[in-house]
Amino acid sequence: MKRLLFLVIAAALLSGAALFAGGAEETATGPVEFDFWTTQTQSDRMATIQVLIDTYTAINPNVTINLIPVDENDIPTQINAAAAAGNLPGLVELGAENAVTFGAEGFMDKEATAALLADIGEENFYDGVLRLVNDGAGGYYALPYHGWIQGIWYRSDWFEEAGLDPPNTWENILTAAEYFYQPENNQYGILVGTTAEAFTEQSFTPIAMANGAALFDRDGNLIFNSPEMREAVEYYAELAQYNPPGPQTWRARDYYLQGKMAMFFYSTYIMDDLAIADVAAGSLTGENFADLEGGAFDPELVNNTALAPIITNTEPAGYGVVVTMGLPQQEDPAVTAAASAFLRYLYTQNAYITFLHMAPGGMNPVLREIATNARFQNDPNGVFKNYGAEKMAEIISGMNEIETFSIVDGVRIEAASAIFSNQIIPQMLFSITQEGVDIDTAMARAEEAMLEIVNE
Amino acid sequence: MPSIRALTNDEREARLGWGLIAPAMIIILLLILYPIIYNVYLSFFDVSLMGQNRFVGLRNYTGILGDGEFWRSVLMTFLYVILSTVGTTLAGLGVATVMNREFPLRGLVRSLILFPYVAPVISVVFAWQFFFDPVNGIFMHTLVEQLGWVSERFNLIRDPQNALWVLIVFNIWKNFPFSYLMILSRLQAIDANLYEAAEIDGANGWQKFRHITVPELYFVVGALMLLRFIWNFNKFEEVFLLTGTNIKTLPIYTYFKAFIGTMELGDASALALIQFILLLGIIILYVKRVLKW
Repeated sequence: MKRLLFLVIAAALLSGAALFAGGAEETATGPVEFDFWTTQTQSDRMATIQVLIDTYTAINPNVTINLIPVDENDIPTQINAAAAAGNLPGLVELGAENAVTFGAEGFMDKEATAALLADIGEENFYDGVLRLVNDGAGGYYALPYHGWIQGIWYRSDWFEEAGLDPPNTWENILTAAEYFYQPENNQYGILVGTTAEAFTEQSFTPIAMANGAALFDRDGNLIFNSPEMREAVEYYAELAQYNPPGPQTWRARDYYLQGKMAMFFYSTYIMDDLAIADVAAGSLTGENFADLEGGAFDPELVNNTALAPIITNTEPAGYGVVVTMGLPQQEDPAVTAAASAFLRYLYTQNAYITFLHMAPGGMNPVLREIATNARFQNDPNGVFKNYGAEKMAEIISGMNEIETFSIVDGVRIEAASAIFSNQIIPQMLFSITQEGVDIDTAMARAEEAMLEIVNE
Repeated sequence: MPSIRALTNDEREARLGWGLIAPAMIIILLLILYPIIYNVYLSFFDVSLMGQNRFVGLRNYTGILGDGEFWRSVLMTFLYVILSTVGTTLAGLGVATVMNREFPLRGLVRSLILFPYVAPVISVVFAWQFFFDPVNGIFMHTLVEQLGWVSERFNLIRDPQNALWVLIVFNIWKNFPFSYLMILSRLQAIDANLYEAAEIDGANGWQKFRHITVPELYFVVGALMLLRFIWNFNKFEEVFLLTGTNIKTLPIYTYFKAFIGTMELGDASALALIQFILLLGIIILYVKRVLKW
């Protein structure tokens, strides 16, 4: 540690000396300092990233990296402010949607990104992941780094016993939801979001996408009111009948953990809840009410649970969020070079796996080879061991099929994001499934609200 | 030459008075008056968080008044406020009348009744949600499995068909102890001689209540209802925590306009002002007609 401190101080001193020398030297070997913005603001995660930085700077004493936590909701404001002030960070961790937004505004260094991508090898990334950051002209705005996938988690033992196919098509999902919906036994078929919240849109999106429905076409025309979308809404409303009673949101996943539900939409962040007893106990209260059925943690649940990450009707669709590493434009090419080199290091196996292990299940690799890597599957909490290599690879393959309403053929539609943040689709689904508004009226209302945003 | 003279006692008192209230005045001006004035100012603008605000005159107001959702919200608010205010007062009156009689352990019961009012909203709301959870809650368990009164479980709290009624019941349960406390203290101050005199004149129980208790309580109950009306009209936490996004009374509707999605701060300011004017109108009417000030 003393040695490390010495190196850091030495580097700082050297960079100071360089300033006094007039900073004329711009070779890659000169001392360089840059900021690294991370959205991992929790202190334990920052400590892990700091270890990675310390390791890197110990080997490369001429580089100084300042780790700065930025809440992911503040990223847009902060980037705008930094761009206006001319001090964009050397490296920034940000969601794919933001990477595209700021990339389209010219804040991202596409050349450096392309060079690094070529170095790592495009073919090593999942195609579906790269598609989310592509600029529509063969280039990329940022490098995908990790992501979570959403899908339908289901009781494979129940399905097997009933002789049902996995819930990976519209038809299979509906059949199973109907079959397992037994309210008289306090058992429910499925959980889809029906409140006016983001979760509802997250469960609706892959269903609509699987039917080829979209909000916008490539040219940015609103095509919400299409036969495909109507079918999807109708189908979703039908599925919602097999929900637990009343408006429901992600919290109802507890019913699954208690063995009272057959399927539910959720992200891979559920993986540790399924696998680790004490984590699950935190979200269950059953043992405090011994008289109620269900309750206790089921250690077999993880083996009896499978994920259907991709839903198909007329076409396959998956949903998830990819987090990227972006290289913002710099005046000093040495900073870009240093940030690229550091990012290259973050993609090396050891560093990458250390990073991903901060949130087993929540942070999934975007590089194909890592999913089956033995060290990756041996996370400190033992989450992955419970799932096994094959199942992990299957789960992570969902990264390949991620789609969202706001990126059409690589073209980013800004209005789609505004529609998302105004919760127009969740409100529509709430009014249909809970208030009994008929589908045509609700869709017409939603379209009106969308047009208001588009025309603004 | 200006005349120099000693301050009179009155003047000194006045100066001291100003000095003493100045800190409080300054804080009120800064933290309450300034935001209110700024709110009025914002209501005439299309507010942009990143760029310049654009003056739009009365457009925010006309937009709101022409919006069906606003009127639904007004209706919902009045239904909620009137029913909960009346319910709270009646419950308070009933309980206070009973508690005014002598019985063993009266002191203990009197203090226990205060519990819902003094318990923190958040913990009480969570308790209700646990009780009434459709799948795991004890209420549905009892109703469906133990008693068999209902054949199918339902979501009592969150279902939009029930939510408003649940809110009203919750509000009455949570707030009646305040009315009870105020009414009880007034009841205890009524001169027992009045009842004695009425008895001598041959009045029965109802007549005593109608002609002695009610007139004695009139202004307490009147003031209580006014306060409860104002508090419930602006009620946010109970509504938001208990039913989430399902019931949009005016404060919740304003919150949604202001802070969810594209953050229409201009619209929200106008809404807040409309809400204030509505409330003010009702207060003036009420004070003139009912309290006869």
